[in-house]
Amino acid sequence: MAEENATPHSVKDDADLDSSPTKAADENVKFRDPLLSGFDHESDDDGMESLDLNASIKSDQTVSRSSSLIANFKLDEDADAETKDLFIVVDDPEKHTSTLESYITFRVQTKTNRSEFEGAELSVRRRYNDFLWLRQRLEETYCTHLVPPLPAKHSLKRLDRFSPEFLRVREGALQKFLTRLADHPVLSFDKNLFVFLTAKAWEFQAHKKQGSGIFSRVTDSLHNMGASYMMKNRPPEFVVMHEYIQTFGEKLGVMDRISQRILKESTEYLTELTEWAPCFMLWANSEDKLKSGLLAMSKNIEECCKELKDMIDSTEDDFAQPLKEYILYTESVKGVLRRRDAMQMEYDMIVEELAKKKEEREQIKTSDQTYSIGAFLGKDPEDVKESKREKLEQQLVDLTQQMDMLNDRLVVANADLKADMERWHINKQRDMKEIFLNMAERNIQYYERCLEKWENTVRDIHPRNENAEDGIIVSS
Amino acid sequence: MADEENSPELGPEKITPEQNDVHADRAKPTTKTSLLQWMEITVSEPEKRTNASMKMQDTYIVYLIETRVTDENMKGYSDGATSLWRRYSEFELLRNYLETTYATIIIPPLPEKKATYTWQNAPTDKFDPEFIERRRAALEVFLLRIASHTILSTDKIFMGFMQQDNGWKDAVYSTDFQSKAESKLKAISASFRLRKPDRRFEEVKNYANELQTNISNILKYRARMADKLYAIHKVHGNYARVFGEWSCIEKDMSEPLQSAGHYMDVLASSIDPMLEEEEHFADQLKEYLAFSDSLRSVCRKYECVQYDLERADDNLSAKAKERDLLVQGKSPGTFSLSGVKSKLFGSDTPEQRELKIKQLEEQIKQAEIELKQATQETQLHVQSALKDIERFKRQKTKDLQEIFTNYAIMQIKQCKKGIAIWTSAKDCFVKM
Repeated sequence: MAEENATPHSVKDDADLDSSPTKAADENVKFRDPLLSGFDHESDDDGMESLDLNASIKSDQTVSRSSSLIANFKLDEDADAETKDLFIVVDDPEKHTSTLESYITFRVQTKTNRSEFEGAELSVRRRYNDFLWLRQRLEETYCTHLVPPLPAKHSLKRLDRFSPEFLRVREGALQKFLTRLADHPVLSFDKNLFVFLTAKAWEFQAHKKQGSGIFSRVTDSLHNMGASYMMKNRPPEFVVMHEYIQTFGEKLGVMDRISQRILKESTEYLTELTEWAPCFMLWANSEDKLKSGLLAMSKNIEECCKELKDMIDSTEDDFAQPLKEYILYTESVKGVLRRRDAMQMEYDMIVEELAKKKEEREQIKTSDQTYSIGAFLGKDPEDVKESKREKLEQQLVDLTQQMDMLNDRLVVANADLKADMERWHINKQRDMKEIFLNMAERNIQYYERCLEKWENTVRDIHPRNENAEDGIIVSS
Repeated sequence: MADEENSPELGPEKITPEQNDVHADRAKPTTKTSLLQWMEITVSEPEKRTNASMKMQDTYIVYLIETRVTDENMKGYSDGATSLWRRYSEFELLRNYLETTYATIIIPPLPEKKATYTWQNAPTDKFDPEFIERRRAALEVFLLRIASHTILSTDKIFMGFMQQDNGWKDAVYSTDFQSKAESKLKAISASFRLRKPDRRFEEVKNYANELQTNISNILKYRARMADKLYAIHKVHGNYARVFGEWSCIEKDMSEPLQSAGHYMDVLASSIDPMLEEEEHFADQLKEYLAFSDSLRSVCRKYECVQYDLERADDNLSAKAKERDLLVQGKSPGTFSLSGVKSKLFGSDTPEQRELKIKQLEEQIKQAEIELKQATQETQLHVQSALKDIERFKRQKTKDLQEIFTNYAIMQIKQCKKGIAIWTSAKDCFVKM
């Protein structure tokens, strides 16, 4: 894409741009600062700069589309790329105002070869609550599958739901959500997802109202917690998963706390720094020759404040928030693991029940019904025996049927979950890498920008006509 | 017009950019106008001494003061090389002497007695090695500033401070400088009751006050910033620990996480040398904060001199008026002593009156001479003071420009370090 945007002419311009600051610095500054003259621009920066310059000319819409596409391509890195046949893009946030409320909708575009999508509307508008609904339905329907997470409903730091930064972050997260669904071999064929992607506005509202999944959620919580604790013969791969998720969740929590502390201290640092700049400006008022130097310091500190604020904001958006969402995701994974445990529990109990009944049957064969209740009531002991035996046989048949069904369900659930966990691990690795890479890059960017500003200040502190003859500099 | 005074490089021995030598060679005048041009002075090796006196143990720090003549031709003016030990209180004695003796010169200030504008990790204890080191550096700057001043550097007591091991204190006291110090009461009267204070000194006083306020604010916020910056870096160190724990449950991510954790530790410990360097910046500003006191001191001394002048003027006017009244035959006021006397005992005889007039004329002549002297002295004082104030201004501009430039360079260094550390961390994350 860089080649598209950068003509040979503009690259040359950038090269000139790059060399001139250094030249100007040399001309204006009498003394040679070894730190300044050793500064070189890497050729990578030329490419980066030209991309930025051109992108700023384009409209917002184009930028958001290209960034969504890039986000899409980034997630395609695994082997599934060849088998992908469902592509979804989220972009173009728009504000809607009605009498009751105002909210944002995003455009959701689908691109696919799948036959069921033939003739269907492939571009719809959805709001955050629609995404929430979809996720809820998916969780209910596929209780042993891992459903990808959604971004948090409210951001504690960003109070303005309509600010471009907030929308950018949310759009990216929604994009990721749908892309992960599209890549999932089971979830991507869900009917609710289909409706979400294709239904027109009123159709969609009608569909949402059908069927509430409240009951299935209730059976989830306490019952399953208990089940998990009593789990004795959990298959080893799930033992590992449980332990991993537990520790991983803990570590995420610790990192979240660390990042919150850093954000707090950084914000306080920013406050002090903001008070510092005017001190120099005030001082400049009572100075004459020193005025320009002091004003240069003041201006520079103000600019560094801006950089710091940007960095704090984007650390919140691109680091702290994703980390928090991963913590929530971890919780939902734990929930799925618990549900699987519950299924296993049910199955185990049936197996136990069956064994008990079989034992009873054996006992009945050799039992003496002379003193049973039936005999007491006047029945023939042999008949009592026979009826009991019949009843047990029936129970055994029922139980065996139930057991088979539960076993099937369990086997499927185990296989699903195992496959999902593997996929989850791959995604987690990619996501973590992206989160931390972003953090590192953001810090680098912050320091690079501040570095540039301070270099300018060094130049500006000494006005051009100042000469150093005012005194001998003596080394002490 | 050649610049007469030469100014020392700010800061301790550590910072010596190459160009200083170039400038030194180029600008060396043929005549020596300050001590610093032919003598090297160092303050080093602080040591603890203890005096076991009568009841209390007096523990204090002494500093080694060494001098060395650097110009062959000047060997005759001083011993080749000297060294002796001085403690802070002796520096104070020297400064008090200089301040009283040279009323028109802005005397360099001493480093602070107690640590001010501190943040959580800064040393506050008098005997903390970091505090002592910073004090040593400041004391050296103090001596170098005196040595580079055309007038101050020729003072014998100053030379004795650096070279006379025994009997220096006696020499100082024998100058009887304390008696020349202006009484506080006079200084206060002077500042309130001047009729025609020179506007320029009023401006200098105002400037000194503003300088004090401005630098105080800068130091105050800097200390708070240091606190926060320290916390931010140290908290990043916690990432190192959690990365280590996390890496235990991972496979592919394990090594990259551990390496990244290492760089978080590096980040956490990088703040300590950075803030130490920043203390140096704060110290340099503190010196100029203290200079505001020196400026006010010079203004006060001008006011005393002006006060004396106006009193001499008043005296002359009073005497002249008295004489005029006598000549006109009137007694000076009904409620004066002589007025009462004449009422009680009768007026003066013509002979008595003539005598009085003659006496007054003598006194007037005397007063005129005194006024002329005072006027001359005041003029010289004002000239000298204003000249030194100009010198100070030039020095201040140059020093502060350099202080800010060095601060900016320090920030540049810090940014580069930050970039390096995060780039290394990024390289680790890439491998995740």
